[in-house]
Amino acid sequence: MDLIVAFVTGLTTGGLGCLAVQSGLLASTLAYQVEQDMLAHSVDASRKFKPHIARPIFLFLLAKLVAYTILGFLLGALGSALQLTPLMSAILYLAIGVFMLGNGLRMLNAHPVFRFFVIEPPSFLTRYIRRKSKDGASLVTPLFMGTLTIFLPCGVTQAMMAAALGTSSPVQGAALMFAFIFGTTPLFFSVSYFATRLSAAVEKHFTRIVAVTMLILGLVSVDSGLNLAGSPFSFSRAWNSVAVAISDSVNGVQSGFAIHVTDDGYSPIVLHLPAGTPVSIEWVTEGTQSCARSVVVPGLEYHEILPPVGRVRFDIPAQEKGTVINYSCSMGMYPSQLVFDLDS
Amino acid sequence: MKKVFRVPDMSCPNCAMHLEGLEDELPGVKRINASYKKQVMEVEFDEALLSIEQILQAANAIGYHPESDAS
Repeated sequence: MDLIVAFVTGLTTGGLGCLAVQSGLLASTLAYQVEQDMLAHSVDASRKFKPHIARPIFLFLLAKLVAYTILGFLLGALGSALQLTPLMSAILYLAIGVFMLGNGLRMLNAHPVFRFFVIEPPSFLTRYIRRKSKDGASLVTPLFMGTLTIFLPCGVTQAMMAAALGTSSPVQGAALMFAFIFGTTPLFFSVSYFATRLSAAVEKHFTRIVAVTMLILGLVSVDSGLNLAGSPFSFSRAWNSVAVAISDSVNGVQSGFAIHVTDDGYSPIVLHLPAGTPVSIEWVTEGTQSCARSVVVPGLEYHEILPPVGRVRFDIPAQEKGTVINYSCSMGMYPSQLVFDLDS
Repeated sequence: MKKVFRVPDMSCPNCAMHLEGLEDELPGVKRINASYKKQVMEVEFDEALLSIEQILQAANAIGYHPESDAS
């Protein structure tokens, strides 16, 4: 998953979704500070800046950011240790997608069965965290509470944690969780600092927005899983076939033996190759930085991480006429095809 | 005494945590376990100190409407 997508997800659905689960914790942490301020009459209602309140919120969110970044690192390391094959990654993406679709439908109250898509923390843990949050004054409390939020992840966060596992890289896992949690921070800070309570009507409206976004992200994840598994059926593949049909009718059939790997995917999307004879193609990168560099051809058990700049040769054994081989990047994006339909 | 209430208006896992928070507020409550999935709240309490009516009122006050006929 792209870091910008993770950040925007945090900024929107993540912020709203996690606010519902974790705001009580933050409110309890702040309660002592507010009480102290009121007792000391140090809060002047007309003052716009309230450093007494801002500090524990800042510490809470900082601890949360650090804790989740470390968690992302560990999840990425775990994914790396498990040596996820493209097929395992595909299954993981499909599972994340189903999980997100289930949660989206749960939020829309589609059916009681969707409540089982929620992972509820055990009561003893929520009890411990709740009581600890009322402990008091020290600056350690908001730091501790922020760290403990890793045990109260909302549905979107849980999906992001699975995506961090799927990166199979500690650095990428950490960066993904950092981008996501950093994205949730503005909304958390605003709601906590200004002590704004969303009205029931607004909250219901927001829940629907989160639910619809979860459904869209779920479909995207299922789509990635299907692409990564080399499935001939996926939403993006269907869209590509329409786009290619239009493009072919204008430009004629592509017959090159090189595939240009750009930040936007593979060009041409469909490469027509001769059947009945071994062929070699070249992956051409020219300053490519996106996940398109990590190319997966499930049907040929081929996975190669291409250099940012260069040409990498890919030898393909002879294929029967009419064979279609699907491939994509290792995150299931940019689905493309090799079609063996030319006379050798 | 243990009493199980059905709480049909729990709309997210956070609701279960809210309801469990009542155990810090109500004298006489030993333990509250709430489940969003099952839509129930199990309250263990001392009936000499607290009545079912008071539990219902406390839950109403935080926006939930338990039904006391679950068990």
